[in-house]
Amino acid sequence: MSYLEDDLRMALRRAEPSADFMDCVLARVNQPPPPEPSWWERLTVLLRPPRLQWVAACVILGVMVPAGVQYRKQQRMRAEGEKAKEQLMFAVRVAGNKLHRVQQKVLEMGRMETRL
Amino acid sequence: MKILLILAVCMLAGGLGRGQVVDLKHLDRLAAKASETADVTLDGSLLKLGAKFLSNDDPDQAKVKKLVAGLKGIYVRTFEFENEGEYLESDVASIRKQLQAPGWSRIVGVRSKKDGENAEVYLKTDGPDGGLAIICANPKELTVVSIVGKIDLDELSELGHLGVPKIELEKPKPPGKKDDD
Repeated sequence: MSYLEDDLRMALRRAEPSADFMDCVLARVNQPPPPEPSWWERLTVLLRPPRLQWVAACVILGVMVPAGVQYRKQQRMRAEGEKAKEQLMFAVRVAGNKLHRVQQKVLEMGRMETRL
Repeated sequence: MKILLILAVCMLAGGLGRGQVVDLKHLDRLAAKASETADVTLDGSLLKLGAKFLSNDDPDQAKVKKLVAGLKGIYVRTFEFENEGEYLESDVASIRKQLQAPGWSRIVGVRSKKDGENAEVYLKTDGPDGGLAIICANPKELTVVSIVGKIDLDELSELGHLGVPKIELEKPKPPGKKDDD
């Protein structure tokens, strides 16, 4: 007889269950089913593992920080633009005003020469 | 040394010939003496940014927007003094000298002995960029405007009607006269 046959016989020999086996099985079968988790619990479950919390924090930071920076940049650009606009209006009005005065002077002189 | 000086003059004249900015830096020292100063420097990017913020709904702003569309720079220096003789003739002469560069021509020169006001308008028409320079000088006020780019003089003059805050000085009233007369 080979060792293999001995091994098989040993492995497949009949073994009696323990005395409380039936009680254990029945107890398990009679247990009430676990309560159904609410939608909120299902959602929070996603964030429960520590690694996912970090991922969520990083995603939020990754969105919030660039958005904040962009907002500040736009605010600064707007302030600079408004200031440039005021300066531009002022500069054009000064230039126009001076040019207008020169034209008036030239016209005045023309009239005076005509009178003479 | 002489060669360096000649090179510097050639570079300055060449720069102005290509429509670059009239150098107004030497006027900065007048700010300390002036009672009121206006200093506006709007180069290409700032000019575009300012024009972008001009509204199309406001008729005045819309006019300015149209006027400055082709411009590359606007530079204004205005000084108002308490007393006469606070600025030197050489301050103005230095600007005139720059405007003698090729391409520039003096289109108007007004000299009033009555109120001592001198006004000159220079225009640059040749080359890819135009230019306009205005020098207005009276004993108590000096204004220099330099515009780089092509500009419609009639439209600009029309905008002069709009009024300039703090630029038009009230003429001093004769002693003894009150505000209400």
